[in-house]
Amino acid sequence: MSVSVQSPALSSRLQQFLQLTKPRVISLIVFTAVIGMFLAEPAERLLTASFWWAAIFATLGIALVAGAAAAVNCLVEQKIDAVMARTRARPLPMGTISSPETLLFAGVVGGVGLTILHVLVNPLTMWLTLATFVGYAVIYTLLLKPLTPQNIVIGGASGAMPPVLGWAAVTGGVSPDALLLFLIIFAWTPPHFWALALYRKNEYAKAGIPMLPVTHGDRFTRLHVLLYTVILVAATMLPFATRMSGMIYLISAVALGSLFLIYAVRICVDYSDALARQTFRYSILYLSLLFTALLVDHYVRF
Amino acid sequence: MQASAIWQFSLDSLHALAWGGPLLIALVVCARFVPLRTLVISTTVVTLALVMLGAYVRLTNAGLGCPDWPGCYGKLSPGLAAEQIVAAQAEAPAGPVSLPKAWKEMLHRYLASLVGVMIMAIAYQALRGRRRVDYYGQMTGLGLPLALVFLVVLQGLFGKWTVTLLLKPVIVTLHLLGGMTLFAMLAWLSARMLELSAGPPSVLRGIRPWALLALVALGFQIALGGWVSTNHAALACTDFPVCHGRWVPSMDFDHGFYFLRELGLTAGGEPLSNEALNAIHWTHRVGALVTLMVVGFAGLKSLRVRDLHGYGMALLALLLLQIALGVTNVLGSLPLPVAVAHNGVAALLLATLVMLNFAVNSPATFRR
Repeated sequence: MSVSVQSPALSSRLQQFLQLTKPRVISLIVFTAVIGMFLAEPAERLLTASFWWAAIFATLGIALVAGAAAAVNCLVEQKIDAVMARTRARPLPMGTISSPETLLFAGVVGGVGLTILHVLVNPLTMWLTLATFVGYAVIYTLLLKPLTPQNIVIGGASGAMPPVLGWAAVTGGVSPDALLLFLIIFAWTPPHFWALALYRKNEYAKAGIPMLPVTHGDRFTRLHVLLYTVILVAATMLPFATRMSGMIYLISAVALGSLFLIYAVRICVDYSDALARQTFRYSILYLSLLFTALLVDHYVRF
Repeated sequence: MQASAIWQFSLDSLHALAWGGPLLIALVVCARFVPLRTLVISTTVVTLALVMLGAYVRLTNAGLGCPDWPGCYGKLSPGLAAEQIVAAQAEAPAGPVSLPKAWKEMLHRYLASLVGVMIMAIAYQALRGRRRVDYYGQMTGLGLPLALVFLVVLQGLFGKWTVTLLLKPVIVTLHLLGGMTLFAMLAWLSARMLELSAGPPSVLRGIRPWALLALVALGFQIALGGWVSTNHAALACTDFPVCHGRWVPSMDFDHGFYFLRELGLTAGGEPLSNEALNAIHWTHRVGALVTLMVVGFAGLKSLRVRDLHGYGMALLALLLLQIALGVTNVLGSLPLPVAVAHNGVAALLLATLVMLNFAVNSPATFRR
């Protein structure tokens, strides 16, 4: 990188702040939240203005709070980020944005997001979003991540909240169907993350983070990727079993899940870093397509 | 209160947030940003303050200042519940509820929740220490920090039952003893962190049984003292060294030491007789004599070992101070500062004996 840090132009400075919010992670969060909103309501409700207002403001509010959480995460982990190749170029380790600036930025963005949710959506969504923020920025980032290799398993609860938040935003409550979506993302997090941790094991070890491959070794982690994938595929059968979704979803879930299982089995028996990288990429595609299938199925039934 | 006395939990959600938020911040700060040794020692000191504050609450009869738990009428602070408190006081002017009493009780609860969080932070650092190479991270061991977490949660429950089960003597005494045990365990952990040790093994062999015996005797005496206080028997005898003019007053041990009963009542519901209170009070005096001899002997033996000289001096000084405070309580009709100090010095004696026991079991040959 040969970016001049002497006198950054305003646009590049804004870009730095934008980078702080981890836009790629946020887009997946917002995507699952929006799908939660659409799944919560029957097709007729799409014609009402109240649905669209709630959906628009909730999307905005959730995105802002998620951005604030990402910024706090960057703030806390700047020392770790500086050690790892993947994250070395982030604004804080580079020194282009200072810690107080980050804190102020997170406070303002998060505060605006929570206010929007409270005033323009409903208080329940605000409280659940705040709880998710605390769960991610404080409990996961500050306490669990440096403590235990189960960090991402427990912390996965925060990442699994967005569909529930979306659901609460448009219906004003949380139903068992919303909890099924939560369960799917919760079960998806460990194989997704451990695939990454497998090929970045040395960097995690260098940064002193007790990821499962660091503390319990590769073989153990590979087995757990497989086992959690089995749990994930089982969990994805539940929306069909409860009649929340129909055949389109079932067929998609079986196809996508089979491919994930093939990856997981290969990781277990015939490991390579390249394969782990492919698995990680596939896991993101998998979740996007699975939720798309849920959405399509919600409107097209036969 | 509508909710069951055992299971109730009264706190409005926003108030829970205003209480839990700062606690979470304290947890993060203590878990991630305070060095372990500083954390252990400051937790020990704060716990001593908490035990003494607890004694103050008990001695000012403020234990029922808020009739529910953990909130005060479901609110974060008595100020926010002033309406209900004033109403309760107007209804029963001599009752247990009043604003100053509510504040004392709530301060005890705030400080207790802080101690709880600090102990969890110790356990966090101990758990994390298993994987770390730095030296202090591995000094605590895991057993003691986890036992501390278990005990502090139990103490929270006993604190709640003290309130919701209306000051049953056995609950209040167990709450007191739990607090003392917590403090003693923290003193042991502090000794570990400070790497206390003593002279060569040959010298220590002779003193070890006495240090242990002194600790056991003191433990019994603290339990007896707690029983005196929670039964309001401190002024059962107002003369010293005799009681009602006799060395052995008329006493009723059967009712005095029957555990499962209400405050001031026998198990059958009759008012507790003076003879029963005499028995409780007199036993604590006999216990004091035994403790004086056993702990005093351990103190004298420590004086003769060069490395333990300080412990010996501290033990003897605290012992004499404690006897003087006890006698002053009887002759001066329980002055509040003296009564609180009697509790505090008991805790200090306990900590000194715990550290002495740690030191005599860590011969200097292992000193780093």
